[in-house]
Amino acid sequence: MQIYVCVRHVPDSAASITVTGGAGIDQNIAFLINPFDEHAITQAVKIRDKIQGAEVIAICLGPDDAQKTLQSSLAMGADRGVLVQTSENHDSILTAKALKTAIEQDGSPDLILTGKESIDAEGMQTMFRIGALFNFPVVNNIVKFNIQDNEAIVDHEFSSGIVNRYKMTLPCVVGAGKALNVPKYPTFPDIVKARKKPVKKIALTDLNIETVTNSMTVVKLEPLLQKRNPEEIKGTAVQAAEQIVQILKFEAKVIS
Amino acid sequence: MSEKYDAIIIGAGVIGAPIAYEMAKMGYKTLNVDKLPDAGEGSTAGSCAIVRAHYSTADGVAMAYEGFKYWLDWENYLDNVEDEKGLAKYMNTGSILLKSQGHDWKKVQANYDEVGVDYEEWDNDKIKKAVPVADLHEFWPVRRPEDPKFYDEPTKALGGGIFCPEAGYVNDPALSAHNIMRAAEAKGSKFIFNAEVVDVRSENNKITGITLKDGTKIDAGIVVNVGGPHSFQINKMAEGVWEGCNIKTKALRHEVMYCPSPDEYDYINDGYHMSDGDIGCYVRPEVGNLFLIGSEDPDCDPQEWVDPDEFYAGKGGHGRDNVLSEEQWKAQCYRLGKRIPSLAVPNQPKGVVDLYDCSDDWIPVYDKSDLPGFYMAIGTSGNQYKNAPVVGRMMAELIDACEKGLDHDNEPMQYKYKFIDRTMNVGFFSRKREINYNSSFSVNG
Repeated sequence: MQIYVCVRHVPDSAASITVTGGAGIDQNIAFLINPFDEHAITQAVKIRDKIQGAEVIAICLGPDDAQKTLQSSLAMGADRGVLVQTSENHDSILTAKALKTAIEQDGSPDLILTGKESIDAEGMQTMFRIGALFNFPVVNNIVKFNIQDNEAIVDHEFSSGIVNRYKMTLPCVVGAGKALNVPKYPTFPDIVKARKKPVKKIALTDLNIETVTNSMTVVKLEPLLQKRNPEEIKGTAVQAAEQIVQILKFEAKVIS
Repeated sequence: MSEKYDAIIIGAGVIGAPIAYEMAKMGYKTLNVDKLPDAGEGSTAGSCAIVRAHYSTADGVAMAYEGFKYWLDWENYLDNVEDEKGLAKYMNTGSILLKSQGHDWKKVQANYDEVGVDYEEWDNDKIKKAVPVADLHEFWPVRRPEDPKFYDEPTKALGGGIFCPEAGYVNDPALSAHNIMRAAEAKGSKFIFNAEVVDVRSENNKITGITLKDGTKIDAGIVVNVGGPHSFQINKMAEGVWEGCNIKTKALRHEVMYCPSPDEYDYINDGYHMSDGDIGCYVRPEVGNLFLIGSEDPDCDPQEWVDPDEFYAGKGGHGRDNVLSEEQWKAQCYRLGKRIPSLAVPNQPKGVVDLYDCSDDWIPVYDKSDLPGFYMAIGTSGNQYKNAPVVGRMMAELIDACEKGLDHDNEPMQYKYKFIDRTMNVGFFSRKREINYNSSFSVNG
């Protein structure tokens, strides 16, 4: 069984992001594995450990620096890595085509995992596009995963918290949500082991992807300026609690 | 508007607050001014607040050991003052200094003997019992993960350690400064916040006061620079002071990491402070069962000297701004990962980046200046938190003596410790000294 995990090299969420040139960001910041992809890797390793002969392959479209993200994936338990090298930032249309082609050239997927979204673009596109290209079923933001009789049984969570259960035939594509598992981070011995695991590098141009006619481009990036209007809540604890309830009910509308 | 005080103390961190407290006890009318909103919010808040006594000089050991006595009796030191935020807690974990090539532990042990520090010698079995997750192989020399030799298998074992039972850490360093502020206020001290000093005024070669950014002038015949990472800027504001210092200070960027303890190890309750020169790290427990991992500044690590205003504004770019760098995260966590092989290291860095107010030889400057009335307690270099209450008393006595005519430059004040039977030659901390090559030139002091 071959389990492919698509991992993305994204800016560190703690970095100070500066918009440059109107549609890009200053790249002189740390890039790391997309946090949702950590759940995907952890799940893939769990599945592999139960199935004899199964293999987890982490695959990434990104610059040379993305080797760090693959090393993180290997340290977390993936068996080997594939880096599709590109110096540009691509849209989900091309990303999905590149990953699909690279996976096909590498092996034959029984299961493809991704994170539920990347924390930079938050597009939630790539997993659906990969599924469409392979003609595999896709469920995103899964919070529970089981394999039984060549079927994947997954719980999908809507943003409202409602959970639906789906059965999919393998091969399929699933996007890992945060509630799926606790990422298993590597120890130093894991990190040492990962250094010896193979990483295959292919240039994006060598994949010979047919020309993509549709594309999406970022027209403009603007920093989100949050307006804050702090108000001091005064009075006794009881009065303060009443005021907070009023605010939560009528202003924030988070309780009814 | 013009106000008059006996002394203005620039900075209300863990060193500035006790200077006010001790001067107030002597009858001085003091005012602390700080550019941040509350006491201890500056680099004090970023301190690891370790209270340990191992230093490379007997004087360093003595001062730290004197400090223990204050932390161990915190309420009494504060004269039982009440603080609405509660009191900082001294977590008396004890401290293990691993015997390694990264520390001159023989010197430390001799210093302990000379000063009379309570300690025990532990062999590897004893350490293993205390810290069951530890691998006591020798990993020396300290390297970076970018170096292939970093991953070499160790062959030798370490040779035990020195345990100091009275050591530990303070759970909330900012709160400890706040506590001292409340104690000082109870003795009549005043504190103002959100007040940035833009000028230190003098006339006829004598201090007259300070000017704040909003134009407010405050007069006093004594001004004390306790500006932390901004100390060199304050010294430059006072006429002739910066030029008159042979030892200068500047701001050094420093990263401290938070990494979760292995599940099976209740580090927050069972853990010790440990200084591990063999891997260039020191660790202590942090809330959430985390390891707080500090660096002992091994030679292979980069040193980033930064402009404090740029740094706190988040400028300077990767590795120089106030965001943890992934490279250093890996360096410190992987080093500790060698000592603790079950330590799981998250991919996302977590921790604190702040500044040391670092002197040329990593030894502080506790001194007068060439401008009468201007004093300084600067260059604390990441290792003076534990000494703060001692420094408060020593500085107050130094200022008082100089104001009463002591020629400290030529006849240095001898400070008599309150708890241990020893005297400190305050001239050791002189701004006029030559660089002290006995120093470790690191946070170890």
